[in-house]
Formats: sequence, structure tokens, C-alpha cells
Amino acid sequence: MNSSPLRLQLDDPPAVYQPGNMLTGQFCLEGVTPADIRAVEVSVLWNTEGKGEQDMSVHYFERIEPQNGDPVDFRQPQRFRTVLPNSPLSYDGLIVKINWLVRVRVFLARGKEIVSEAPFWLGTVPRASEVAP
Amino acid sequence: MSRFIRLYEKKRGDRRTGSKAFGNLGEALFFGFFFVIGCAAFAFMFWMLLWPEWRANRQFAETTATIEDRTLGVGAASGDSGPTYRPEFRIRYTIDGKTYTQDKVYAVTGIYSDDKQIAQATVDSFQVGQEYPCWYDPINPERVVLVRGYSGWLYLFLLIPLSFIVIGAGGLIYTLLRWNTSAERQAVLTQRAAKLDLFDLDRANREYPTVPADVNVTNSPGTTLAYRLPMVASTGWTLFAVALACVFWNGIIAIFVTMAIRSIARGEPDWFLVVFVTPFVAIGVSLVVYFVREVLVHTGVGPTRLEISAHPLAPGECYDAYLSQAGRLTMNSLEVWLACEEKATYRQGTDTRTETRQVYLERCFVREGFEIHQGLPFESRCQVRVPEQAMHSFRADHNEVRWKLVVKGSVAGWPDYSREFQIVVNPNDGHDQA
Repeated sequence: MNSSPLRLQLDDPPAVYQPGNMLTGQFCLEGVTPADIRAVEVSVLWNTEGKGEQDMSVHYFERIEPQNGDPVDFRQPQRFRTVLPNSPLSYDGLIVKINWLVRVRVFLARGKEIVSEAPFWLGTVPRASEVAP
Repeated sequence: MSRFIRLYEKKRGDRRTGSKAFGNLGEALFFGFFFVIGCAAFAFMFWMLLWPEWRANRQFAETTATIEDRTLGVGAASGDSGPTYRPEFRIRYTIDGKTYTQDKVYAVTGIYSDDKQIAQATVDSFQVGQEYPCWYDPINPERVVLVRGYSGWLYLFLLIPLSFIVIGAGGLIYTLLRWNTSAERQAVLTQRAAKLDLFDLDRANREYPTVPADVNVTNSPGTTLAYRLPMVASTGWTLFAVALACVFWNGIIAIFVTMAIRSIARGEPDWFLVVFVTPFVAIGVSLVVYFVREVLVHTGVGPTRLEISAHPLAPGECYDAYLSQAGRLTMNSLEVWLACEEKATYRQGTDTRTETRQVYLERCFVREGFEIHQGLPFESRCQVRVPEQAMHSFRADHNEVRWKLVVKGSVAGWPDYSREFQIVVNPNDGHDQA
């Protein structure tokens, strides 16, 4: 049922990544004319979720743009790789959650965007539960 | 137009309800307005003040003029400030054989002042029929002045348009940089700017990003163990804040209480006022009780000292902690707790709210039923161990996971007290658990 022309996948993702592990993956874009693609951004980032305002920080970022007017053929798989940092670890708390994910954002003509995300888990912190003060 | 700039978007996970493009356009117009107003005001002041004065001082040529008439010019009244004045002279002078006569001559700016006396004194200082030096514009000899110099304090007014220009230009640049820029790219730019740390204070954060630095914890050596932990809130500031609230609240309430008592003393009791002020008096009394309680706790209990053998802490490791409690107290109990809590900050309307939830609590030490004598603090050691799988300390702009050691005391005949000491827990390497 996934009709997005953007395919993003991590290479043999383990159940859990550990700090210092190499994260690798690839993405490709099908059904879009190369000339319509203005730029593609690949990010490995964490963001928070929960009661508070969202915080976000980007660990790895790459922006791919046509070179000298020549469009990049994104139908061919584009690979990315990065060594994961020591922190923050993924966390499923009560009012603070920390999510790690790979996000690919494609900028098309006329301001349109296509976004695809691949979440993953960094570290082995168990789910939090509330304790009485 | 709606294809390119949508005025409204559906609510999404990131709580955005407005159109990003429309928001950016609004910001650009807002800052653009500031910038244009600033530029226009600066151009006006430049043209009316800076440029004429600079030319009069640097480019005008000197000659001699004869005063034919002198008057005190009166300008239009503006608002409540009354009329304004300036010296005005009719002078005659000759340039290259041609004689010119100019009226209303004095300074190049022609600015009026509300100080009549100074203007009049200036008028009186020139005598009709006498010759005085003057300076004329070589490009247009009809333009002439009797004095040169700069208007000093008037240049301070330039700060107003300049501040508009700086705010407008800064906002415009910020908005344009964000225009059509993804959240990730903006974050990268912000992170790069944050890394321009001239004093390299953020070195520890590079190994463990988002784990708070422990500088405040490790900059105070302990007497028994490696580090003396700092207390989270200074007792002095807490007392000061409570005292301030107490005085402020009760000071206002005292006015109404006095009015109520006087009405009763006159035999004409204002029952509405009495009923109205009663709950406020109750709050005031509660504040006084709370203040007295805090004073008792902070002055009677004596300082609590907590030291730790190493810092930051690593999950799964055991650390020695040293507890010292001074005072002259009959203790029901004294406890040390290791606690972890989540803290989230969010905006609700115009308010910024903070919510905390406790996710870990373990008692590391307890001692019951004992005496602490004056000058002989209670001292003891205990072990502190953060669970192996525990979440590390984490601090972002709006979200936090923080670890702390809490000393709780129950004193016979005194209010219970609690003192918190911040600690930092590093992430578990966890390579053996994958």
C-alpha cells in the first residue's frame, strides 16, 4: 500500500544499534523525473516526543544537489553511512521519549517535498515506569 | 497562489497548525517593515543632519559677511512643547565680485530649539552692521552659514533608525535563511554555530552529546571523598523568595484588613469587605507559617554535606557516598535516596509550564532514632549504584532526564526537610548487550 516513490532502507538492521556502531543504508527514488528534483537531504537525527516541546539534533547530514545543472539519477540507490554517537540513547519515558531515525527529504519543483523515515533504536535502555515520590 | 503558499495546514505531530510558507512571508514582511522604516528614517536624518554638517565643516569656504538684520525666529508649536526658536540673520557677503544677500542664516541644519534664552543670547551676540566670518558652499554660494560644528547629542537620535535597521536586517536574514530550508538543515546550521566555542567549554559534550557537563559538580573537592556535591537550590535564595512573597502579599492585604477593622471600630462594619478579605488573609497566614517553617528548617537543621567518590557516574558501577549532617537535632530518621526524573517544558498559551515525573527511586541509606550534637556532625557512608540499564542524564532545550541524590530528614518536633544534590550519569556503553 506504500505508494511513495521514495524507498529508504537500512542495511540488515539489528534489533538494536549500539553507540559506535556503523549505520548504513540506501535510498532510491522512482517515478520522478530527475529534472524535477531540486535537492535531496539525508539526515540521521534524534528528536524528542512527549509532553514537552520537541527538541531535535542532527547527527549526520548530507545534501545532494545537481552538479553544474546535471541532475543526479536518484533511481540508482544512493548510499549513506555514519558512526552512531555515544548519546543520547533511545528512550521510552513517561513524558520524555527520544527517537532516533534516518530521514530522507526530497525537494521537488514548485516547493513540493517527499519525506521518508526509518526509525531505529540506539542503546538498550528499557521502558520507564513511574515510581511514587 | 494557494498552490504555492497555503494559508493553513492540518495539525500534525509537530503541533504546527499554520502554513510554513505563510508564516515565513509574515515574518519577512514584519522585519522588512522594520528595515524600511529604519532606512527611511536614517536617510532622512542623513540628508537633513549628517551630510549638511559634514559639508559645512569640510567643504564650505570661509569669507566675511556683514550682519544687516537679526531676529529670533519662531517655529511652529508641536504638541504640548510650545513654540520653538532659532537665531536668524540677514547677511551680506561678496564672492568673486558678486554680492549676495541671504536671510534667515545661521547654522546649516536650521533646527529649532525649545530653549528661547539660548537662542536669544545667540541673536544678541551678533551686532548689526558688524562683520563676522561666514562659510559658503563653493557649489552654491547662496548657501551660507555663520557657525560650523556638529550637533553633538543630536547624533544619539541616529541610534533609533540604526536599531530598526539592525533588527529588521537581522530578522530578514534569519527568515530568508530559513525560507525553504528543512528543519534538519536549520538544526545543522544551529549546531555548527553552537560549536564555535571560543573557550572550548563544550569538550565533554563531544564524547557524550546531550549529557550535561559536570563542571559544577567536580569543581569542589570533598574533604573525605573526591567531590563535594552542590545542592540544587540555595537555601538562602529559597528563604529570600519566600520572605519576599510573604511581605508583598501581606503588605497588600494589610491595607484591606486595616480598612475592615476601622469600619468595625466606627460601629459601621463593612461585612462585604470582611468576608471578601478573609480568604486572602488565610493565604497570608499560610505564607507566614510556611516562611517560619522554612526558617526553622534552614537555621535549625544545619548544613547537609554530601560527597561522592567519583563523577560522573556510570550505570552498573558502585560509588561511595559520604553524608554529613550538622545541627543539634533529635532525628527520627535520616535517609539518602537516588532518584531520576523526567522534566518536560512546554508552552500553553503565553505560559511556559514544566512537568516532572519520577521514574526511579531507591533508598541508599537510612538511619533511625539518633541524636546529632552541636559541633559534632553526624557522619556516615553509603553505597550508590545506578542500575545497569538505566537511562543516562539528558538535557535538551525543552526536555531533560536528571539524576539526583536526595537527603530526607525527619526531626522530632521540627518540620521534615529534603535537600537535593544533582549528579550526572553517563550512558552505558552496552556493547555486550546487543
